[in-house]
Amino acid sequence: MSSAINRLKERMESFTAFGLAPAVLLVLTLISGVYIAFNPAQTIRGDLALWIFAKGHLAGYQESIARFEEMHPDLTVEIQLVHQHAITSRLRAALAANLDVPDLVEIEISWAGSFFRGPVDDVSFMDLRPWLEESGYIDKIVRTRFAPYSVGDRIFGIPHDVHPVMLAYRRDIFEAEGIDVDEIETWDQFIEIGKRLTRRGGTNPRYMIGLDPNSSDSFEVLLFQRGGAYFNERGELTIDDELVVQTLLWFIPLVAGPDRIGVNPGWGAPFARAVLDGYILCYITPDWRTKIIENDVGDASGKMALMPLPAFEPGGRRTSTWGGTMLGITRGTENPEKALELAEHLYLNHELLLEMFQKSNILPPLRDLWDDPVFDQPREFWSGQPLGRLYADLADDVPPQYSSPYVSITKAKMGQVISGLTAHYNRHGEDGFEEQVRQRLNEAADYVRGQMARNPF
Amino acid sequence: MSTQDSTDSSRDATSTDDVRGGTAQRMEIETNGPPPPQLPRVKVRSVPRARVLGLHVLLGVLLLLTLLPIAWLVTGALKLQEDLFAYTFLPEGWRIDRLTFSNIFRLFEEIPFFRVAANSMFVAGATVLIQLFFSSLGGFALAKYEFRGKRPIMILMLMTMMIPAQVMLAPLYQMIHHMGLMDSLAGLIVPSVVSVFGMFLFRQSMMQIPDELLQAGRIDGCSELGLYWNIVMPVSRPMIGAFCLIAFMGNWNSFLWPQIVLHTSDRFTLPIALTQQVGLYEQDYGVLLAGTLLSIVPVVILFLLLQREFISGLTAGAVKG
Amino acid sequence: MWYRFQYRYAPYLFVAPFIISFLIFGFYPIVRSIWLSFHLTAGPETSVFVGLDNYTVLLADTDFHKAVRNTVIFAFFSVFLQLPLSLGLAMLLNSRLILGRAFFRLGFFSPHLLGMVFVAILFAVVFAPRFGLLNVLLSHLGAPIERDWLGTPELVMPALVLTALWLYVGFNMVYFLAALQAVDRDLYDAAKVDGAGPWGQFLHVTLPGIKHVTVFVVVLSTIGSFQLFELPYLMLNNGPGPDQAGLTVVMYLYQNGFVTGDLGYASAIGWVLVLGVMCLAIFQLVLGGTLRRNP
Repeated sequence: MSSAINRLKERMESFTAFGLAPAVLLVLTLISGVYIAFNPAQTIRGDLALWIFAKGHLAGYQESIARFEEMHPDLTVEIQLVHQHAITSRLRAALAANLDVPDLVEIEISWAGSFFRGPVDDVSFMDLRPWLEESGYIDKIVRTRFAPYSVGDRIFGIPHDVHPVMLAYRRDIFEAEGIDVDEIETWDQFIEIGKRLTRRGGTNPRYMIGLDPNSSDSFEVLLFQRGGAYFNERGELTIDDELVVQTLLWFIPLVAGPDRIGVNPGWGAPFARAVLDGYILCYITPDWRTKIIENDVGDASGKMALMPLPAFEPGGRRTSTWGGTMLGITRGTENPEKALELAEHLYLNHELLLEMFQKSNILPPLRDLWDDPVFDQPREFWSGQPLGRLYADLADDVPPQYSSPYVSITKAKMGQVISGLTAHYNRHGEDGFEEQVRQRLNEAADYVRGQMARNPF
Repeated sequence: MSTQDSTDSSRDATSTDDVRGGTAQRMEIETNGPPPPQLPRVKVRSVPRARVLGLHVLLGVLLLLTLLPIAWLVTGALKLQEDLFAYTFLPEGWRIDRLTFSNIFRLFEEIPFFRVAANSMFVAGATVLIQLFFSSLGGFALAKYEFRGKRPIMILMLMTMMIPAQVMLAPLYQMIHHMGLMDSLAGLIVPSVVSVFGMFLFRQSMMQIPDELLQAGRIDGCSELGLYWNIVMPVSRPMIGAFCLIAFMGNWNSFLWPQIVLHTSDRFTLPIALTQQVGLYEQDYGVLLAGTLLSIVPVVILFLLLQREFISGLTAGAVKG
Repeated sequence: MWYRFQYRYAPYLFVAPFIISFLIFGFYPIVRSIWLSFHLTAGPETSVFVGLDNYTVLLADTDFHKAVRNTVIFAFFSVFLQLPLSLGLAMLLNSRLILGRAFFRLGFFSPHLLGMVFVAILFAVVFAPRFGLLNVLLSHLGAPIERDWLGTPELVMPALVLTALWLYVGFNMVYFLAALQAVDRDLYDAAKVDGAGPWGQFLHVTLPGIKHVTVFVVVLSTIGSFQLFELPYLMLNNGPGPDQAGLTVVMYLYQNGFVTGDLGYASAIGWVLVLGVMCLAIFQLVLGGTLRRNP
């Protein structure tokens, strides 16, 4: 035994007694440690902190912040890019502890409502209405875009965008099939054509439109177009309204059953391939998605074009809305005036907004700007269409989306309703379908109301 | 295969292949002279070739399936964004001319790669080394000693492993802030100096060490800490390797907590810098894929080093003395 | 003197780092989250004591039931499908008969090298209808090529289990590989002399030899499965998937705590989870004889 121990002791004397892995880790840690020690990080602590989650905003903001700092030599601004998967967690942790709370923060539309929970006086964001009224911006910005960021008559965020929705379609295939999109005015006409162009199953399937049969993503865009909503202005749940029932009765047969003309377009690779292969002909496309299509499906250049959504009634609304971002100012900020100035500088700065449009195709919410010639530039990718003009022409018609802390629960529940109904319709068709729609909607509504009733505030 | 099986039934089946291999290996280590003319060596040769070949084919097919996604990563990192989704692997007809290194160049333009990699390396390396020491020490105590409070400690360990990190996030944020560790690499290292999973791992693997070995050490005049350092740790080499690899990778790929603690872009770790390329409203997949490809290199090297610990019989020999 | 008593005090010294780090970083968050689970909160300043209300609502919450069911199914496959495969792979790749073992080991481990965000992008490719890798492979066996794995409620869990297999079989293999190094080779010869076949040798030599590490891997896999969140969340495009077929307990916790902002309810979910998994883990440990006192 003792000889064994002696042998082990001898081994100990070598550097790698515990194996190579710890030894190598030690060396690498020391090297990287020395590197870091000789290149200390530049900590940028600003008088104003701004958190954003969209990388596309960063470069533009940095330039514009540099100009802002020139105008205010006594002021520094730090900007932090936090990924979407972490920003809500971090903001919530910061707010809960009331530590390191940013002065300004960008929030995505679907999370916004959840930050306005509780007594309206306790909301962590500043009411911007007085400032918006005083400065006159309230009339210059598309009015419905305040809805997602408002509670009662308080406005907690400045909208970054309008995000009107159009249909992107494979122009080349439509032309080959002899279809004139100018003649498509209503969904009924659209579905008619769709039934002709759709080839279900087989070796070369093709569908008229990309619609998600399992989540609320596509459905809600169409519901909003029709004037429906999840919540009304007063924050009351409206998912069991007759309009929602009717819209579901109309929507589900588009994606399920033997006559379906829609299929899930997916995202990332499946989406790009569907566009490219002409597997799906039309896509619900807000302004931001046009850029994703341009980037991810370069080979579709010149084959795509945009048309307004078909209306539910002749003469009805031809657009909807999908997505959005706001800029809020936290109530704890020590510098509310400067924060407001910065917000104005970033969000209502004409030059920056036009730059943003050119880079990301995102239409600014400031109506004065839409006269600018950049919106009339023809786009080669979109078969020479003036993309900006098309979206701008629809922007004033964008329906409101009212906020509620329960939006995300409601979306999840609606997704469940939709996928349940899709499965039911695939199996049983019209048989008992309407009762199913009503029953599932009522169950979902009961569930959400139950959650809302728990809130004593 | 089946005919081979029947002719071979008198000999051992596949599951004991490792046994013979292991014995042969140990022989090499333990004896200085030529290996004694024992059966194992002969037996190794006598295993039917068809079966060995069959095993290789099976493993090869499984490996191919496992590696398909990795192949997608490698080809993806070399494709233009417009080709990335258009072709599953290479552009149609092996159009190699459509491949590009531009993603890798862009990676170096978009993010300070070496700086960020050094941050990651330092945090992951330091964390793992500290964890290795404390966790193996704690694991040793729990495996080889009887003391009051041992079982409550085990239960406490299990509990801390089970609490979802999300529940702890806000209070932990508060504490790190009050300790002045926000926006520092220390804020990542300090809260995780003890790895509970590591303690549990070392406890379980060290239970295998015979008590006689420790007793012998004590008779030789070894202190308890000396036992740990001179006997227990060298004998645990394979598990040390496994722990280093797994803990390193966990830290190397860790995303949420670093993203919450670190504010200054110069202090970012690789996952933060890379995931920032892909957001809700815009995606730069090329940079992400190129970065992911480069960021797995250190872990691959670590894995290959660790290979050397997985030589059958190494510790068994040491334990028996 | 110190030398004589060190045997008694050494273990306390050895576990002290854990205790200290727990007292600093674990104690307060735990107390705080228990406190939260008895409150309703809104924003940073507002909270109301509600007693057990969060818990009673939770236990009647149908979505929570669904999350628990999904998670239990996933955990079952992790322990009873994935771990045996990991062990088999480890034994095979421990054998000297296999050439290029280092290469095979690295290959099977490699999926785990990639970050989770990449996995999300990748699995939109693997499970996509029409051209997805899985459908292309299966179509050679006659399966329909348009099958939408992540869009069909019944196929979400199989897709998750498959992905987890791909990710974790090679990962758990590493533990088993390390454990196999400590098995005494002579015992196999002895078993052979006693007439044990390959199966007998496995049962009587290999398994007892790696028992403690196996208990570790089983307990860890169970705990890990019940923490499942990122993988389905990212695979299913930041949500629970069709008909909530991919909703897990921790995803539900996240949705309530961080998306809806109901930290009290989220904490209650967390503690119900801890309680449930704790029972399971202690059961496993007792079964593995791990909590018994050493002789």
